[in-house]
Amino acid sequence: MKLFYTIILIIFCTCLVRCKTQKIEYNIPSHVSAQNRAIFLERCEKGRILFKINCSGCHGIFTKGKDGVPNFTKDEIDNYRAVVLIARDQKNHAVAAKMSPEQIDHIITFLSLRIEKK
Amino acid sequence: MKIFSVIIIFVITILCFSFKERHNKTYNNLYETSLAAFKQQQSSLENTIAAANLSKETDIQAIRQKIAAARLQLKNIDFWLRYFEPLAYKKINGPLPIEWENEVFEKFEPPYKREGAGLTVAELYLDEKIISKDTLLLLIQKSKTAVKTFEADSITRQLNVYHHFFLANRLFLLNLAAVYTTGFECPDTNNIIPELQSMLNGTKKIYETYNQTFPATPLTKGYLDAYEKAIAFVNTQPANFSSFDHYDFIKNHVNVLFALNQEFINAYNVTSVNLNDYTLNNNNRSIFDKSLYDPQNTKGVYSLIEDEKILSEIKHIGKLLFYDPILSGNNSRSCASCHKPTQYFTDTTQKTSFQYDNQQHLARNTPTLINSVYNHLLMLDGKHISLQAQGKDVMTNPAEMNSNEKELIKKVLSCKEYKDAFRKLLRLTPEEKEISLNHIVSAITYYDGSFSRFTAPFDDAMNNKMQIGQEVKKGFNLFMSKAQCATCHFVPNFNGVKPPYIGSEFEVIGTPEDTSFTAISIDKGRYVINPASETLNAFRTGSIRNAQYTKPYMHNGVFNTLEEVIDFYDAGGGTGKKLKITNQTLSGDSLKLSTIEKKQLITFIHSLNENIIFEPPPALLPLSADKALNKRKAGGEY
Repeated sequence: MKLFYTIILIIFCTCLVRCKTQKIEYNIPSHVSAQNRAIFLERCEKGRILFKINCSGCHGIFTKGKDGVPNFTKDEIDNYRAVVLIARDQKNHAVAAKMSPEQIDHIITFLSLRIEKK
Repeated sequence: MKIFSVIIIFVITILCFSFKERHNKTYNNLYETSLAAFKQQQSSLENTIAAANLSKETDIQAIRQKIAAARLQLKNIDFWLRYFEPLAYKKINGPLPIEWENEVFEKFEPPYKREGAGLTVAELYLDEKIISKDTLLLLIQKSKTAVKTFEADSITRQLNVYHHFFLANRLFLLNLAAVYTTGFECPDTNNIIPELQSMLNGTKKIYETYNQTFPATPLTKGYLDAYEKAIAFVNTQPANFSSFDHYDFIKNHVNVLFALNQEFINAYNVTSVNLNDYTLNNNNRSIFDKSLYDPQNTKGVYSLIEDEKILSEIKHIGKLLFYDPILSGNNSRSCASCHKPTQYFTDTTQKTSFQYDNQQHLARNTPTLINSVYNHLLMLDGKHISLQAQGKDVMTNPAEMNSNEKELIKKVLSCKEYKDAFRKLLRLTPEEKEISLNHIVSAITYYDGSFSRFTAPFDDAMNNKMQIGQEVKKGFNLFMSKAQCATCHFVPNFNGVKPPYIGSEFEVIGTPEDTSFTAISIDKGRYVINPASETLNAFRTGSIRNAQYTKPYMHNGVFNTLEEVIDFYDAGGGTGKKLKITNQTLSGDSLKLSTIEKKQLITFIHSLNENIIFEPPPALLPLSADKALNKRKAGGEY
């Protein structure tokens, strides 16, 4: 029985550690100054939170999203005129249409700079 | 058996063809033939120029006639071209050789250079002292290249579905109200009304073929009848645009058609794939209703909050902060110090407000906050893209409120009322880790942005809610024509935002340093933000709403009365006052306005005074744990 608990504990700890290492990393070009890097990271982080709450239900980048909805691979976000597309789309992007331009910018920055998990 | 099969195949083939023919192509055909006719005119113009001797006045006249003919033909397809591809359109008939733009969906990017070419630019070029044939030819050749854009599949396939039609029609109607009758892109004012007639008739053909090709989503008889009335009205009007009744035309014809078209957009579930529709609101029913286009976002970090109770709490906090000098470095200045709520949120007592040191003056006049939400770029040089960015800049600017971000937040949170409110709001803004300047500034913009919702008697008259005097109508008609105000101050907000209401315009008018008119103001304006020869001394066009109460005028507050402002424009701006300015965007010729006409203009401007409900200042500011801060005065000291 003791062995069983130990195994459970080890599995639990491994999970914890793995969860912690799943932190998202961002690809900020090397020529960006340290000060601007901090600004970018702040925007990315805000974008990540906004995206998780408001967008990830359909656009699955953390888990599976809806079928046929972009899950924003690098190529997709580069081609996606998101700001333009979503702002006028009350039907599919009602939440995004309410956001401030800055909030949309945070999300796009997050999506453009995040490094995708293989 | 073989015969039977052949017959079957034959029948199927016939059926296929008959199905194909059932899709009526008259609408698409009209587009193609009209475009071809315009191309013909362009080539003919090009040939005339190539064969001309530019030192002979008769040849110049021949070129002018060809330009006029090409313009008339263009008016038959303007409806489509302007909507489908505005950038290519600028090369066919742009008003200026170079324009710098920063449209609402590109605000995070540097301004774009747009090149203009084609008919208007060529016509203006003919007026220059020295003209070269090559330059003239190049302007027309560029416009010939631009026309090819409109033959691309990506554009012509939009003609196969009805959606684009009602959106292009909306833009057409908005331009009828704001641009087509003002001479904005028609330098020869004698041609304005004839061109308008040509355009109305050309568009009528578009309407007819549209209804044949798309019978399921038609323009109704009610619309077509109203359109006929508009044509009939224009036909009864004098051909001189200064005698044309712009007021009647816009109120009783254009706005009526606009409302019907908005109903079609909703009833037919029209969807857009075009940036021209970016800010326009489908639920609006009048050009003179402030819901026409989306204003600046006033909610900032609170954008996703919709609970009315919480929003009214945010507004309450915003109001307290607006009057609270705690936001300044020395706790003596508030937003209300310069944007005095009793003076239409500006300062009418001095040309430019005091700096933080309470001795020197700032470089520019305090703009009113009322209706600032209807500008896509803020500040007179368009420095800021959002109200929140502007607010933050003022608070931390050493010459204005001279605050340090960390200190400011600490001081604000030392007040229990603020702290409790922001703690609650922090939970509703999950992307913000802690209470930040974003929370503070967004509450302020949400409060002060709410004073832009009111209407003026002129709006109410346009919406048939009240009668307005003859002098106002005369003043408006002058505004739209002879006085040339409306070529920069566009309907309905009378600011620099023109249809499709996605950008803010900047102009060089040559405002003097002082009323001796010996030198142009040293302020470089837009040049500071976007250095280019065209932007030197350029300023964002302000609104003339509430102008009676927002003196002094111009970026440096140089004029104290509306009469002075009108006299300045009447003289032809800085150039007209003999100042040396190479890039003035305003004509340097005198407008030749009479004293009576100037009075009528002012009467019209007064009809744009909005019925604003002002609020008294807060009786008390929130108490701080730091006793020294509790001596601060609501509204500040200076």
